[in-house]
Amino acid sequence: MTTIQVIPAVDCRNLSVRYGRTQALDRVSFTVEPGQVYALLGRNGSGKTSLVRCLLGHQKPQSGRLDLLGQDVWSSRNALMQRVGVVSEEPDAPPAMTPRQLLKFCAGLHPTWDAAAADERLTRFRVPLDVPFGKLSRGQKAQLALTLALGPKPQLLVLDDPTLGLDPVARREVYDELLSELADRGTTILITTHDLAGIEGIADRVGILHEGRLLVDGSLEELKARHRKVCWAPFQAVRAEALAHFAPLRIREHGLGGEAVLSQGDPTQLLDGDRPDLKVHALSLEELFVALVGAESEVAS
Amino acid sequence: MTTLAVFRREWIGRRNVFLLALGMGFIQLVGTRFESEVGKAAALSLGSGIMLAWVVAALFGATMVGRDLEERRFGFWLNQPLRTGEIFAGKVAAGVGMAVLAAVVLCLPMLLFGGLRRVLSLREASEAVGGGLAGSLVLLLLFHAVSIQVRSRSLWLVLDLAAWSGFFWSVRLLSLKLIWAGAFEQMFHVWLTLLVLVTLGLAVAGYLQVAQGRADLQRGHRWVSVTLALSLGLALLVGSAQAAWVLRSKAESLKQQAVSPRIR
Repeated sequence: MTTIQVIPAVDCRNLSVRYGRTQALDRVSFTVEPGQVYALLGRNGSGKTSLVRCLLGHQKPQSGRLDLLGQDVWSSRNALMQRVGVVSEEPDAPPAMTPRQLLKFCAGLHPTWDAAAADERLTRFRVPLDVPFGKLSRGQKAQLALTLALGPKPQLLVLDDPTLGLDPVARREVYDELLSELADRGTTILITTHDLAGIEGIADRVGILHEGRLLVDGSLEELKARHRKVCWAPFQAVRAEALAHFAPLRIREHGLGGEAVLSQGDPTQLLDGDRPDLKVHALSLEELFVALVGAESEVAS
Repeated sequence: MTTLAVFRREWIGRRNVFLLALGMGFIQLVGTRFESEVGKAAALSLGSGIMLAWVVAALFGATMVGRDLEERRFGFWLNQPLRTGEIFAGKVAAGVGMAVLAAVVLCLPMLLFGGLRRVLSLREASEAVGGGLAGSLVLLLLFHAVSIQVRSRSLWLVLDLAAWSGFFWSVRLLSLKLIWAGAFEQMFHVWLTLLVLVTLGLAVAGYLQVAQGRADLQRGHRWVSVTLALSLGLALLVGSAQAAWVLRSKAESLKQQAVSPRIR
């Protein structure tokens, strides 16, 4: 019997990046399987940008290995970029070029360029074709960047905070476009973002970077199932020993009572006693993120 | 083909240079109306054309990669299926081409209406274009390297300064030795050797900065520094050997050559 080995779209092993004495990435390892949407989250300065730069072959890591679609990204960047679409955090196209010129430029470099789809996308986004890139609004730049990234029908999309600074409508349009791309072609997507609410409905897996280390790497469902929030009424504090069993990430007391984010076990056990004020909630991605990387979690731990 | 794509893209952003050159050409044409000697006016026009080419090349070199890196726009190139050699070659070709064409555009009014065509021989024109081209290439590569060294703000700049200082100090010593020996023409030959080797070193350093440094300015600077220091050292070795060969020659080394009488 032969087994078919699926090559991961992204295979990152023990990646380390250092700037002088600052360790930007510390032995980061994760994989993204084909067709998955992987959201890489982290606070500013957590190492996301360094990771994305290494992912795209812009920067050589001090140690570790990074393969995209089965090829080493540093040595095969040129060939890989035929199959990888990129949206950078800062729109980086030459400011003097118009969208029309940019489309022509990119179409000439990619044999698989889908001109009709790219034109249709820009029309839908209402991006003017003859205004220099430098004079487009932030939202239009992001939409154009997404159009250019999707133009060659890539197998992997790397999006570095594509919704940064966008208004809610433009943000929604970007996500809608990604969803339709996923539905149409099953493209693998690796996205870094601070828009946790926006990505929650799209991501399959989540990685959380904190101070250069990958704190969490797992499916969103699994993470949500493992973490729970317990709230209690004012003056009804729960004893710390009772919570310790559930590995609390954060315990907070405030005027309206208190809350704790628990990372293991079934906190509904707490409801067994005579504490009608206790309530167990599922966490949103944002709450989970704050609990994991927020300053207070360190105090708790 | 892809190099050509980079070439075209570089021109789109800087095509105003040609308008500027044309404007300068017409101003010069008006200025030379007050010059009675056509030859002088022609020399002035050619000279300013070459100067413009060199200035354009220097500015282009200082910004073609360094500014993109500093403004975090170099990723646009790296995100395309382009080899790093194609990116660098396209940018260098665009810079040199733009510099030379700007010079031609500047001289155009004088060529068409100022009588430059009448006084300029084909040989002089070729020499001017050659000088403009060679000078532009050297300046573009030099300013690219310097721009990376300055923009990266790393301690490797100390090595760069030491390497350049050592190089110029050694060239001065070599030149003085040759001057004392009366070998003026040979001194220029040594300089030419040094120039060619340093230009080659600058080209290799520039390529390695893009290929190995990519979007990492500090890493690119390290490659530029090491390659340049090695190139300057190698150029000095070759230049010193050439100078030593010249200085070693004795009176006996001279060969008698037959002189044929001039046929009247």
